[in-house]
Amino acid sequence: MPSIGAVRSESSGEIRSGSGSTPQKRRSISGGPISPPSPVKWKSPRRSVNGSPKTPSKEIEKDSDAKATRLHKSPMKKLSESFLDKSKWNPGDSKQMSAAKEALHVSTVPSTVVCREDEQNRIMDFCKACIEHEKAGSLYACGCPGTGKSLSMEKVRRALVDWAGQAGFQPPDLLSINCTSLTNTSEIFSKILEKQQPRKKTKSSTSPLQHLRNIYSKKQQSSGMKMMLIIADELDYLITRDRTVLHDLFMLTTLPFSSCILIGVSNAIDLADRFLPKLQSLNCKPMVVTFRAYSKDQILKILQQRLMALPSPVFQPQALELCARKVAAASGDMRKALSVCRSALEILEAELRESINSLSLSSEKGAFDQQTLPALDSLTNQEINIVRVDHMATALSKTFRSPIVDTIQSLPQHQQIILCSAVKLFRGGKKDTTVGELNKSYVDICKSVLVPPIGILELSSMCRVLSDQGLLKLGQAREDKLKRVTLKVDEADIAFALQGIRFFRNCLQ
Amino acid sequence: MRGRESPAEDALILFRSRICNPNFVFTPFSDSPDSNYSKLKFIISSSVTEACNNSILLLGPRGSGKTAVLELVIRDLLAEHADMISVIRLNGLLHSDDNCAVKEIARQLCVEHQLLFSKMASFDDNSQFMTAMLRECGLAHKTIIFVLDEFDFFTQARLPLSLMCVHTQKKAHVDWFLTFKFSDIGITSSLCSLQGKQRLLYSLLDAMQSVMSQAVVIGVSCRLDADQLLEKRVRSRFSHRKLLFLPPSKEDLQRLLEHILSLPVDTSLPNDYAVEFNTKLHHILADERFKEIINTLLNSDSTVKHLLRFLFYAVCHMDLESGFLSLDNFRTAMSSIQRQPKMEYLQDCSILELYILVCMKRLEVKEQNSYNFNSVMKEYKGIHDAYQTSDYYARSVCLRAFEHLVQRELICFMDNRGNNQSIEFRAVKLLISSHELYQGLKSYRSCPVSSFKSSV
Repeated sequence: MPSIGAVRSESSGEIRSGSGSTPQKRRSISGGPISPPSPVKWKSPRRSVNGSPKTPSKEIEKDSDAKATRLHKSPMKKLSESFLDKSKWNPGDSKQMSAAKEALHVSTVPSTVVCREDEQNRIMDFCKACIEHEKAGSLYACGCPGTGKSLSMEKVRRALVDWAGQAGFQPPDLLSINCTSLTNTSEIFSKILEKQQPRKKTKSSTSPLQHLRNIYSKKQQSSGMKMMLIIADELDYLITRDRTVLHDLFMLTTLPFSSCILIGVSNAIDLADRFLPKLQSLNCKPMVVTFRAYSKDQILKILQQRLMALPSPVFQPQALELCARKVAAASGDMRKALSVCRSALEILEAELRESINSLSLSSEKGAFDQQTLPALDSLTNQEINIVRVDHMATALSKTFRSPIVDTIQSLPQHQQIILCSAVKLFRGGKKDTTVGELNKSYVDICKSVLVPPIGILELSSMCRVLSDQGLLKLGQAREDKLKRVTLKVDEADIAFALQGIRFFRNCLQ
Repeated sequence: MRGRESPAEDALILFRSRICNPNFVFTPFSDSPDSNYSKLKFIISSSVTEACNNSILLLGPRGSGKTAVLELVIRDLLAEHADMISVIRLNGLLHSDDNCAVKEIARQLCVEHQLLFSKMASFDDNSQFMTAMLRECGLAHKTIIFVLDEFDFFTQARLPLSLMCVHTQKKAHVDWFLTFKFSDIGITSSLCSLQGKQRLLYSLLDAMQSVMSQAVVIGVSCRLDADQLLEKRVRSRFSHRKLLFLPPSKEDLQRLLEHILSLPVDTSLPNDYAVEFNTKLHHILADERFKEIINTLLNSDSTVKHLLRFLFYAVCHMDLESGFLSLDNFRTAMSSIQRQPKMEYLQDCSILELYILVCMKRLEVKEQNSYNFNSVMKEYKGIHDAYQTSDYYARSVCLRAFEHLVQRELICFMDNRGNNQSIEFRAVKLLISSHELYQGLKSYRSCPVSSFKSSV
């Protein structure tokens, strides 16, 4: 497969950011020329044009084919490698830092999609078989979000076109739809029809679906049939109450002279079983390819592959492993792993900035601050500047921790007492209560700790503030006192958050 | 034309304008690297300069300064990179419907780039325009910042504000409703299956997955679990950054008070006046009683907005003769914020009315669930017999007092059905709590001891 995406070379940069150096070529939307934003020639940091899971651009492919040999050239080739030690990564240099961040961004598409070869091969084989035998077929790809489905579809698409060209078949038409962009579910048929017969005008009396059925029921005049590959993303948006649209879509592939290869992508694993039961009786159930959530090793491999493009190691290997393990245990979502890594990079950046500030401050005072050095003495020189396990741990805790405990700890005292009184009320097994009952419990607790209680008006407005924040749920009632109250936060969270304060601890005993 | 205003009045005007200006209030937080301002600024400016997409959620109770800090950051960024940023603002209460939201985005983009906006454009046209604009701005290295206020409303299903035809369960008749919030009525239009699926959020966040567009999405919400409300595919595309806006710490609070209430020394105000004012202010701020007042204030509501309201009251009560703030100003402000309207009503009641309230409370304590004027009268006689008070009035006088209490809404009738009955036989109940009654009696100007004793 041609390597696209990771090629960051000067010339591919010219295609896009040539606009940066020749301002007169850029035009504003209204037609007048745009002047460059600053007097300094600002090179776009975006070098890889075709780095998107869904780019439609086809012409870039030809250029990148020629540059396939220059795979490992980094964007820093401008900075002469003579005065940069190749093995050391300098986070202070903004270019290197932004290159590292870009390598970890979700929108950067790697050249090869690792850990999904199996699924890609299966889909390729299916499509190849359809094209060879000139038969229609349907496939359903499912998996949790962030498991590489859309990415794999793009690769398969390109690969299919290449293979068809090489093997002598007619390359299939490609139609890629994201079902969220349809205003009406049956619009998908008009889109398919448009692609099938781009120039013909349809009679307004027949619906697009009927028209498609007519086309597929009659034998095509031309000899070699041109297949159409339809990739429908977020297929569950097509589910209506009577499930006709989804059903009709898949039935299109069962018509005798149908020429479409339908690939549906969605998150629900059992969509085919639940919503298309009739297809099973007709013996044309779609083939199901499940994209399982990434395991720890897979995540690690993908991260390492992305970071290979950088000239020197940026992360401590233990840090990457920690990230992979945590994310795999939580959801197996690759986007989250990338986000956590980028967050760790930013923490490193902030730390270095702070240490530079404090060093410069202390050198201004004249006394060199020796305290910052011993802590870093234990690490080798190289390790100071890369992302360590503690950075990664901080980034992970920021991502996975919910803000509830912090918020409860910083609530004003009366609101904390209200939460406590709710916890006490619900201990007996009751699940909801009224504001009046809550008030009684609240007054009791206030009496026991000798805090003057507030009136019921203020109490009910505080309950409303708590419900705005998502800690309580307040029902509707004509009178304030009769509104129903339920706790939305776990009792254990509240107890944990308030354990530092003695009287709450005693209260919640 | 008025004569020269006294320096005290100048100072008062200065304070008022400062308190009402959120930019001024939040500026002292901008220099510490740990504050939310710096963190937010770092994230957005690095997204702009490095041209990578990002999304972030600002969470915190209402009035904690989320929008104020965000506006401050945007203002500073617009000053630094004027041409590279354009801001689109949406509000979840107004634009939670996808059609509405996309139309508003298109309209604001047109205004930014001086294009003509057509109101007749359909949803498709608008969304295609939005994607095209995102691509163009990406090519022109311009970042679009989407600010989504009331983010949690974008995640929930809302029916459009229009008359909807609703088929009830029985299908025998059709009811027409004006629905303002979603409810569990069965709706047969297929519109509903696409709505409420967070299409706008999905399309925005999905556009950010590609290199073509350069955008930052900032969600502002008061719900802590706002990201749990997102569908899992939307949540996967969201970058999980959250900034929590907590109430200010003690040091921050001290800094804020000094920042707002100190007079500047080198302006049109007379120098010695300003210096003396600042010295007196320092004494007040260090006083233990002042700290107690602030603690009581923050015990009920610790947001910055509440504190600012308190300061506004205090400053408005400043004595213009002397021109200095005193502790009493803060005390008065405190009592005007923590008003108890029902206790104030009690201060205006007559002794007989108080007796009637006490009787009703005693009946409630005796677990009599429904009582009316006649039972209250019996109780009243009972008290009179027990305590030998001198305040025994005739029945008609008591009835008049009773009616007064109903008018003042200190008591009310249990239900509205008995309009035909005379007032003496209708069931009544108390509208104030026993604690409020107790406090009211305690602070009454000349409460007879017997009524006080009998209420306990």
